[in-house]
Amino acid sequence: MATLLELILKGELVRLSPELDADRVESRWFYLTPRLKDLFDNKLPGMGSTWRIEQSPIEQVDFLLSHFAEGEPLAYSTMFRHLRHHSGFVWELKTADVRIFGWFAKKDHFVGHSLEHKQTLVDVPGLVTGYASEVVRYVESLDLDEPKFIAGDDPSHVVSNFYIADPS
Amino acid sequence: MSYRISISPIRREAGRFIGRVRHALLVALAEESKKRGLTQAEIARKIGVNRSVINKELRGEKDITLGRVAELAAALGRKPVFELREPQISAKDRFVKITTDSTNRAVPLPKSSGATTHNSSRVA
Repeated sequence: MATLLELILKGELVRLSPELDADRVESRWFYLTPRLKDLFDNKLPGMGSTWRIEQSPIEQVDFLLSHFAEGEPLAYSTMFRHLRHHSGFVWELKTADVRIFGWFAKKDHFVGHSLEHKQTLVDVPGLVTGYASEVVRYVESLDLDEPKFIAGDDPSHVVSNFYIADPS
Repeated sequence: MSYRISISPIRREAGRFIGRVRHALLVALAEESKKRGLTQAEIARKIGVNRSVINKELRGEKDITLGRVAELAAALGRKPVFELREPQISAKDRFVKITTDSTNRAVPLPKSSGATTHNSSRVA
């Protein structure tokens, strides 16, 4: 069994370097499994926006992960959200076009395992459940110290700063 | 081992700026909604557009023009402030190499070295 740091040293996880401005301090941490690293390298840069907006999917993800790392409040509501609980211990980080599936190994420590274009998830029924199951199987096989994840759907258990905005 | 998202510095700045502006609007909306029950429908009515337009802009599904940022801010009872700051020197860059000349005296560093600047152009 190993800690997150030991898994990084063994090359089983990679820590995101969020490239924050000099006056910003990293207060949340994002890790990539080898699968997500491959998707960041080979899939994300080629993704286009369904909405035809200026921010490309990779730019959306870069903003979201810098925002996450800075400890800025995350939107958690029905209408606007950066963060969504899926099922069990699986969570999604969301942008307008991209969904990143993973889990919180500790509060403010998110491990991402896969990503997909939002439109693909809409077009292919059952795909979201498939990605969530993939996360569960990966966590079960990972040689991480127990507890490997934070269970439940309470955002206050997984992130230290969030807000709810659901004005009609 | 750490990982950096492969994105040009210029596009990184652009993407983050857009994200921060949208986030500031969302937080203000959450605050005003909680404080005085302000709704997206009311904001849309004040601006004179359909509620779905505002919703898409705030969700990041539609680009926001600078004019719309100001309109949304006004409808929220806020004043937008735009500032252009010179970048601060990162902590690791403050550790400058100390050198000596042939007489073994410390050589003064150029004025620009390690200096943290706070110059800014601000429009409020």
